Order: sequence, then C-alpha cells, then structure tokens
Amino acid sequence: METLGPQIIFWAFAALMLGSAFIVVHGKNLVRSAFSLLATFFSAAVFYVMLGADFLAGVQLLVYVGGILTLLVFGVMLTNRIYNLNLETQTFQVLPGALVSLAVFVILTTVVVRTPWSQSALIEDGPTTPIIGRALMTEYVLPFEIASVLLLVALLGAAMLVRRRTDL
Amino acid sequence: MERLDTISSLQYFVPEIVLVFTLMAVLVCDLVSKNRAPRERRLLIVIPSLIGLVVALSYSLQGSEAVSAGLFHNMVAFDGFGQMLRVIFIVTSIFVLLFTLHSNELRLVHHGELLVLLLTVTVALIWMANSINLLMIYLALETVSVASYVMVGYLKTDRLSNEASLKYILFGAVSTGTMLFGLSLLYGLTGSLDLFEIRSALSSQEVVASSGPALMVILVLVLAGIGFKMATVPFHFWCPDVYTGAPTPVTAFLSVGPKVAGFAVLIRFFYGGLASPSEDGASWAMVGSVDWQTMLMGISVITMTLGNVGALLQTNMKRLLAYSSIAHAGYIMMGAVVLSGEGIQAMLAYMIIYLFMNLGAFLVVIVVHNDVGSFDIKDYAGIWRRAPLLTIGMGILLFSLMGIPPFAGFLAKWYIFSVVIDAGLGWFAVIGGLNSAIGAFYYLKILKTMFIDGSDTPEPSTPLALQPLYAGLLLVLIVPNIIGLLLWGYLDRVTEFSQKLLDAM
Amino acid sequence: MIEYVGVLMFLAAGALLAAAATTVSGLVAPHNPTREKLMPYECGENPVGSPWGVQFNIRFYVFVLVFLIFDVEAVMLVPWAVVLKELGTPALIAGFIFIGMLVLGLADVWRKGDLEWVREEERAALKTAPKNAKAA
Repeated sequence: METLGPQIIFWAFAALMLGSAFIVVHGKNLVRSAFSLLATFFSAAVFYVMLGADFLAGVQLLVYVGGILTLLVFGVMLTNRIYNLNLETQTFQVLPGALVSLAVFVILTTVVVRTPWSQSALIEDGPTTPIIGRALMTEYVLPFEIASVLLLVALLGAAMLVRRRTDL
Repeated sequence: MERLDTISSLQYFVPEIVLVFTLMAVLVCDLVSKNRAPRERRLLIVIPSLIGLVVALSYSLQGSEAVSAGLFHNMVAFDGFGQMLRVIFIVTSIFVLLFTLHSNELRLVHHGELLVLLLTVTVALIWMANSINLLMIYLALETVSVASYVMVGYLKTDRLSNEASLKYILFGAVSTGTMLFGLSLLYGLTGSLDLFEIRSALSSQEVVASSGPALMVILVLVLAGIGFKMATVPFHFWCPDVYTGAPTPVTAFLSVGPKVAGFAVLIRFFYGGLASPSEDGASWAMVGSVDWQTMLMGISVITMTLGNVGALLQTNMKRLLAYSSIAHAGYIMMGAVVLSGEGIQAMLAYMIIYLFMNLGAFLVVIVVHNDVGSFDIKDYAGIWRRAPLLTIGMGILLFSLMGIPPFAGFLAKWYIFSVVIDAGLGWFAVIGGLNSAIGAFYYLKILKTMFIDGSDTPEPSTPLALQPLYAGLLLVLIVPNIIGLLLWGYLDRVTEFSQKLLDAM
Repeated sequence: MIEYVGVLMFLAAGALLAAAATTVSGLVAPHNPTREKLMPYECGENPVGSPWGVQFNIRFYVFVLVFLIFDVEAVMLVPWAVVLKELGTPALIAGFIFIGMLVLGLADVWRKGDLEWVREEERAALKTAPKNAKAA
C-alpha cells in the first residue's frame, strides 16, 4: 500500500500530463489547447508534491496555473474573430519532425538512465519554504535581488510594448 | 579565490550598484517629468544616465589592485578579466546612449524606457560576464535577453522592428530554455551550482569514466544558450533579421555587448568548470571526458565561414554587418580554443578593437540613414562626393574590419592567428586567413559603392548632414583604429593584466 | 507527503461532485432544445456574430501582465517572509530592496496611465463629445 498508492497516482498524472500536452500541440482549437495546458501544469505540480518540493508545487500552481495560463487565455480571447481566421494548426514535415523528436527522446532517455547522477543525502520530508528562504537570504541574496531587476525590466518592457502611445 | 560574504563583497561591487541606482533614478526622472516638453524631458533622462555611466566607469577604472575574489558567496567573480569586461560594457553603453540622441529612427518615440533598458542590460552584462555560478549565469543571461527583446522591438509602429523582436523572443526562449535544461543536468551530474565545485566533481576518476555521453549532451545544450548570445553557428539564425529590424543604435549595442558577454560566459564556463589551470596559470587542461576544444574549434570554423559567405550575398547594410559580426564571432572564438592565457589575452584585445571598429561602422550607418533614409547598400552610391571625410572614415573602419595593416583590425587578427599558430594549429590559422580574404570582398564592395558608384550622375552634390555630436563620436571611434599600432604596448599590458588575474580561479 | 493525500481526496471529491452534478442534471432535466435556447444569452437581444467576436478590451491584457509580475514577486517573497523573523534586519533590508524595485515598476505603469480603464485621449474625446453633439 505504501508503495502502490504513489505509484498509481504517479502514472495516472503522467498519463494526464502527456495526454493534455498532446492536445496542446495537436489540438485544432486554440481555446481547447490553452485549457489543456491547465492539466499539464497541474500534473507537474503533483509531481513536485510527490518529490517533496511543496513550495515549488505552490509556485507552479500560483504562477503557471494562476498567472501564465490566464495570460494565455486572455491572449487567445484578444485574437478577435478567432473562428473566421481559420487558425487550424497545420502540421508540416511530419516525418523529419518525428525523427528528430525520436532521436532527442532516445538520446536523452539513454543519458538519463545510464548516467550515475550525483545523489544528495535524503532530506527529511517536511516544509521546504524556510529552507529556501534561508538560502535566498544568505547564500543566494544576490540572485534574489537580481531577480527583482529582471522583474522590473519585464514589467517596464511589457507595459511599454502594449501601450499604444509612443510618447509616454 | 577568496570567497567573500555579502557585506565584504559590496566594496568590489560599486560600479554595479551605481548602475542599478542610476537606472532607478532615470526611471524616477522619467516619471516625474512626464508633463514637460519632450526636449526638456529627454535632457532630464539622458543627463542622469550619462552621469551614472561615467561614475560607474571611473569606479571600474580604479579597481586595478591585484586581488581576485568570489563575491556574494562565489556568485560572481571579481578579477582582472571581469574588470576589463566591465569597462568594455560601460564604454559600449556610453557610445550607444550617445548614438540614440540624434538617430532619425528614434526621433518620434520617447526614450525613457530605452535608457532604463540600456542601463539594465549594461549592469546585467557585467553580472553575466562575471558569473561563476550556474544560477547567476542563467539569471543574468535572462535579464540581458528580456531587456534586449524590448529594445529590439522599441519601434512599436514599425513592422520590421516588431517582427525582429518576435523572432528574437522565440529564438531566445528556446535557446535559454535549452541551456537551462543543460545546466540542470550538469547540476544533477555534479551536485553543485558552483563552477569550481563542478570542476572538482568532474575531475574525479569515476565521474570521468561514466559520464561521457551525459557531459556531451550537457555541453551541447549549454552551448545553445551561450551560442545564442555570441551568435555563433548554428545559433545565429536570429542575427540578420534582428539586426535589420532593430533600431540601429540598438543593433550596434547587440553586436558588441551581448556578444562579448557571451564569450565571457564561454570562458568562465569552460575554463572555470571544465578545465584546470596549470601550475603557472598560463595554460589549461581539459577536465572531464568530452573534448570540447575540438567542439569549439568546429564551431569557430563553421561560424566564420558561414558568416563571411552569407555576407557576400547581402544588399542591406545592416544585414551585411550582421553576417560580418557572425564572422567576427568565429575569429574571436579562435582565441578560446587554444586553452592558454595568451589565447584569452588575444580574445580580449580582439574584442576591444572590435568594439571600436564595429560601433564606428554602425554609426556611419546611422549617419547615412539620417540623411538618405535607407539601409540599402545601393543607396550608399555617391556618398564620396557628398561627404568625403565620412567616406574616408568608413574606409578606415572597413579596412580595419577586413584586417588590413596598419589598422587595428589587422593587429587583432594577427595576434589571434599567431596565438593559434603557437599552439600548433597552423591549419586553423590558415582557415582564418582564407576567411579574412573572403571578408575583404564584401567590405570592398561597400567601399566601391561609396567611392565609385554614382560618380557619373550629374546630380548636385549637397553635403551630407552630419550632426556635430556624431562627427565627434566618429572621430573617437576611428582614431584608435589608425593608431592601433601605437597603442599596442598599452593594450598588451592591459590584456595581460586582465588575463593574469583570471587564472586565480 | 502523507498530508497531501487529503488534498488529493479533496480534489477527487470536487471533480466527482462537478461531474455528478452535470451528469445528473443531464439525465433528469427535460431535454427540448430550440434554436432560441441554443443562442448565447444577450439580454433578450438577438446576438450578432460569434461569441468570440466580442470587443475584448486590451486593458485586460495589461492587467494580467502586471498581475503576473506581482504574482512572481509574491512567490519570491513567501520564503522571505517565512524566515524574516529568524534572520532579522539584514533580511528586512534585502526584502525591501526587492520590493522597492517593483514599486518603481508599479509607479511606472501607474504614472503612464496603463492602469486607467478609460485612456486619457478617450477621456478627452468624451469631454468634447457633448459639444459636438450640440453643434450637430
């Protein structure tokens, strides 16, 4: 029970993630693709929880599901007269694309399976937020501040590009 | 390298702090002066930016004491190499800031965000070039990218600019995402984000024996991100379109700033994480199981060849300079291949000279566009009759880019080729030489258009409008190209100082 | 991880409830569609065009952009807030620098009118509109 339960959950969400990701890429309807992304993002959050990264799971939900997905759906809605535009995603060069994807898949899985990755000592299950907070405030304080510069630039730039007037 | 904590790091971090405060101050000035007349408002944002950059520059020029340290718990390095690059970035930024002042393309838009973005990119480039931690490398690279995307698309009403920005974003997102994946695998392999710890992890026998394919994949993925910034093949596709669509001052900036920072990251990443210095610090030996020297050599050869061949076909000046900058990335990369202090020194010298010749060439493009309103090479016909001095200046810059003696560009190439030959890679230098020969074709084509074409038309030759500011800047940019030979001793000393301190890591 | 089983059960129960509600109402409710019933509801008017053709104000997009930035900021500040008491003044300063940076960003979008629902030029147009109407 102790091992079977997580196993079932993992495979269920893995299937959900791959299935919804497939719809995102191959869906003929932009809105449906956008909403399928919700399932993909959510499954990723579940994986984070299963790996004991509770903070990361929260971030995934808050930023990706709450923020980026909203942005995406609004972007879709802004595309006026979406049905008249015939926005069907067409697929070109299926064979070369499939071959490249397959090659990448094979290479990456081989590497991931074969390589002896460095194992860090197992950390006890528990809230990770204070650990992250301590790291951010001591060793990683510079990246923390630089992140604020990055966010500032992103905000300024995005607002500038969306703004209609050029003289402000 | 001494590892410093946050408080004791601050004293080595003054230029960066000055720049961050400047960008904040410029933003505040921009907001406060919203209701003033455009001219007045522009002064109110340009002057603080310039002051900030000059103050930062003066602080960066002071730091010549022979220390090297890992600031902020080994996040960024402070050494001669970094100090040199810091100066390069700030100088580039000052030039580009002055370029924007009279550019016709930017005449009708407000410059507030542009200056804030320029200052941000400058400080982010410094962070990027000095990062010795994977997280910092990624974060700084991303900051540079995000700000550059907006700068490229700054002309909102210009479709080419929009297209360039979109292409840049798409290409950049894929490249940096790929790089991030590679970095995460590298962390998984070595269990550390710190480049020096990565080096020691990769040096252990068992890792070397078992990690070959993984390290290969990691290096390919990471090179996608670095190569995107350096614009080396095969990550150069964005370059011609983005350079053409972006406002020319921004193009000038992109062709120097991020490219130099890309090479700095290359050096920090490969020499710091994947090579160990010899006892005297004059050469490096590769660590790990992947022969990345050959990899870089291949990239270098393909990059310079494709850049030069691509440039042959261009009819647009900015596109041509884009391909030329790709070719120059190939030459600069030659210095990184030889794994010696001399190589880094040659790279630094090349980058300094490249700064002057390339910014100069782009300034001429801006000046001509201001008057003629076109970037097509055919519209450069007859410039000789309208502006003889400008044409001679462009001639000097182009000869320098070609690598013709006695101009500085020749010295740069000669230095880098001789280093490569010293390392026993004669064939590599021959390829470089052949490429320079191809390069001469298209540079000479421009000169021919300017000097000879259109000289038989009876049109009245009104003098080309040249703003005094641009004339002065051109002089400043051209003179080092002429007297490069005289400055050589100084340059050699400076680069040697810089290189000597890099190997402290 | 065991504490998340509750979350999972909650989610499962929620999904189940929603599925049950729609299925049951589908089974139980009378099913008699007419053309009028299938049309989008527009306050009694006959709708024109597809429901996606509505004028969707671009302002929404700006708001989401701003929201997203501050969303990320909030995420960065959560771990900071958790350890703030323990680490004291240095952490407080670090956090305030971070917040100050983003307040500047907020000041920018505010000052430049990106947060106003009615744009400045539109407001000017609204003011002059009655006069024009009189003249006509």
